[in-house]
Amino acid sequence: MTPAATVFVIDDDASVRSSLKRLISTIGLRVESFGAPDEFIRTELPDSPSCLILDVRLPGLSGLDFQRELAARSIRIPIIFITGYGDIPMGVRAMKDGAVEFLTKPFRDQDLLDAIQVAIERDRARREQAQQVKDIQKRFDGLSSREREVTFLVVEGLLNKQIADRLGTAENTIKVHRSRAMAKMHANSLADLVKMLQKLKSASK
Amino acid sequence: MSGAQQEGWQVSEEEVVAAELERRVALRTAELAALNEQLRKEIASRKHVEEELRSSEEKHRVIVEAASDAVVTIDETGSIVFTNPATARLFGYGPAELIGKSLTVLMPQSMRGLHDNGFRRYQATGVRHINWQGTELTALSRNGREFPVEVSFGELSIDGHRLFTGFIRDISQRKKAEELEAARKCLAVVRADVSLAFGKEGSLETILHECAESIVLHLDAAFARIWTLNRETKMLELRASAGLYTHLTGAHARIPLGTLKIGMIAQEQKPVLSNDLLNDPRISDKAWVAKEGMAGFAGYPLLTGNRTLGVVAMFSRKPVTAQSIDVLASVADLIAQGIERKRAEDELQVSERRLKEMEGELARVVRVTTMGELAASIAHEVNQPLTAVVNNGSACLRLLANRNLEPDILRGALEEIVADGTRASNVLSRIRAFIAKEAAEKSPLDINAVIQEVLSLTGRAIHENHVMLNDQLNTDLPSVLGDRVQLQQVVLNLIMNGIEAMTMLTDRPRLLSVRSQIASPNWIEVAVRDSGTGFSSAPEHLFSPFYTTKPHGMGLGLSITRSLIENHGGRLQAVSLSPHGAEFSFTLPSAPVATS
Repeated sequence: MTPAATVFVIDDDASVRSSLKRLISTIGLRVESFGAPDEFIRTELPDSPSCLILDVRLPGLSGLDFQRELAARSIRIPIIFITGYGDIPMGVRAMKDGAVEFLTKPFRDQDLLDAIQVAIERDRARREQAQQVKDIQKRFDGLSSREREVTFLVVEGLLNKQIADRLGTAENTIKVHRSRAMAKMHANSLADLVKMLQKLKSASK
Repeated sequence: MSGAQQEGWQVSEEEVVAAELERRVALRTAELAALNEQLRKEIASRKHVEEELRSSEEKHRVIVEAASDAVVTIDETGSIVFTNPATARLFGYGPAELIGKSLTVLMPQSMRGLHDNGFRRYQATGVRHINWQGTELTALSRNGREFPVEVSFGELSIDGHRLFTGFIRDISQRKKAEELEAARKCLAVVRADVSLAFGKEGSLETILHECAESIVLHLDAAFARIWTLNRETKMLELRASAGLYTHLTGAHARIPLGTLKIGMIAQEQKPVLSNDLLNDPRISDKAWVAKEGMAGFAGYPLLTGNRTLGVVAMFSRKPVTAQSIDVLASVADLIAQGIERKRAEDELQVSERRLKEMEGELARVVRVTTMGELAASIAHEVNQPLTAVVNNGSACLRLLANRNLEPDILRGALEEIVADGTRASNVLSRIRAFIAKEAAEKSPLDINAVIQEVLSLTGRAIHENHVMLNDQLNTDLPSVLGDRVQLQQVVLNLIMNGIEAMTMLTDRPRLLSVRSQIASPNWIEVAVRDSGTGFSSAPEHLFSPFYTTKPHGMGLGLSITRSLIENHGGRLQAVSLSPHGAEFSFTLPSAPVATS
């Protein structure tokens, strides 16, 4: 079973925080609220799907600036903006920077809850992907240097014989490296291996 | 005799007769002597009379000769038979030059027929065509000069011949003096009318119409008109017309500068005068002149300095007299001054009105701007509780839909809904109080009570922000005259500012002190002090709208706060404290103590 998702709320208004907590609780999500961004920063985030409901107008700095600060800190929590006086440029900027939703207070509960579902789902997917990459990387790290060389050439589409020629060894030796690498990587097929290396490549970008 | 004695004493009949004769002779002689004497006396007397007569004639002759008035005698034919030296002097003829000439040579051509007819009729019927005593007529001198004279006539008959003697006095001087006096009076009257007109309230048209009417009335004009110059369009606009024409429309309603005689008067800034309209090239409509019998025209520019303000002009069925022209010239100046003053007054009024409008507009703009900015700020303030209300309401609905009827959760939500609804309503009340400043309801109130109310409202904020409150309220304060909601707003702003100034504090206690005290007789003071960051700018900046030290503040709180305090006759002050913190304080006059 996947761990319970958490919704973080940053709003300087206690009433809004309290009401959001109550509302979000009705769909069975955990809610943690903060009156200011720095309180949130100081909190250790759980290793489970989560999202952040962020008031644009905050004491200290604007929600939009905080969004960028989080990105700079590689905190990739999906953000739902709520604002009392949102305008289009502000919304556009927030969305471009990866916000899930930009809601104007007061909003329909369903709009917020839908946005939360989307955000949580996005975070869950991201986390899964990150975990996959992590796993692949781990397995990849377990390969010997010869196995990695062979793996790269296999993924490039070279035949065993061609690889043997390239590396100046016997074709049979290559076959052994190849099957060992496949096993270490938990790859069921060549296609599987290609996908795994693509995921690693795109993650390392 | 001896014979009578000889005969004795007896007297004879002869002797008696002789004696009787003698007696009669003697009597007669005496009578004759008396008669003679009487005659002599009579002669002497007559001589005396004659002498007297001669002396009198001489006297009269001297009088006539020496008289300054002309004395002219004509016979039944109207021919001059006698003139005195003054006649020659007055009319410019030689001593005997007039003798034998017709009396009419001393009259202007226009009067001669009248005289001839009148003279004939008098001789035929005894009806006089003029008054014989002190009649004013016009005389004509030898060189053609016409001059006013006063004439008296006498008539006498000599040997069946009728003679008429006229005494002719040159009254040029008197006439001149009279005319001057009349002109002076006329001028005074018209000037008074014009001054009076300009002294009245009313449109320029009304005023100028009164001026035109005065000109018509006192300068014997057929009609008078006044145009004013529109400097932008270079058009003379007819503003007043009195007399024969009173309409302000038609061909002369708008005259381009420099066209027609009116436009020329305005452009050249010179008057146009004419008493020979039919031959005057400046007069265009000769047919009209002839039809209406117009004889004279006078038009003056209305000038102030070298600026043309307009034209005043009059047509007259009689030649325009020099006096009328003088009056018109003088009145033109007066009208010009009046127009100038009126315009200045109107402009002043307009600019005053405009200023007022601008002030109103400015106040409105400031208010609207403030309101716009305030609205954005308020939107946030109202939106927060509203958002909370909606969220809590939605939560309740969901819980109900899920049959999740946990009473504590529902009660908590509903309590918050009530609290936030009230909070939103309070914000709206504050806005209303701000918008309707004039609707402020001032009543005597205890400022401490106001502070207490606000402190209870802000209790949560104080608690949540870990602020330590220290209130020092002097319970012996006089009451102040104020609007409870507005003063609550003020105190609330200051307290919230104080709390907000300390939210970032981590290295020292967050202290908020609220103090009330008597500042001076009749003044109370409330001070709110925090231990926050203080401020580095001049206190004045803090109070200007849109100045803020908060990253997302609208910069209105203190500006509004100050307005509210000033509305109450008080002052708001700010002091940055050393080493940290700030104190905001306001004064309010104490309410006057009601006298019984």
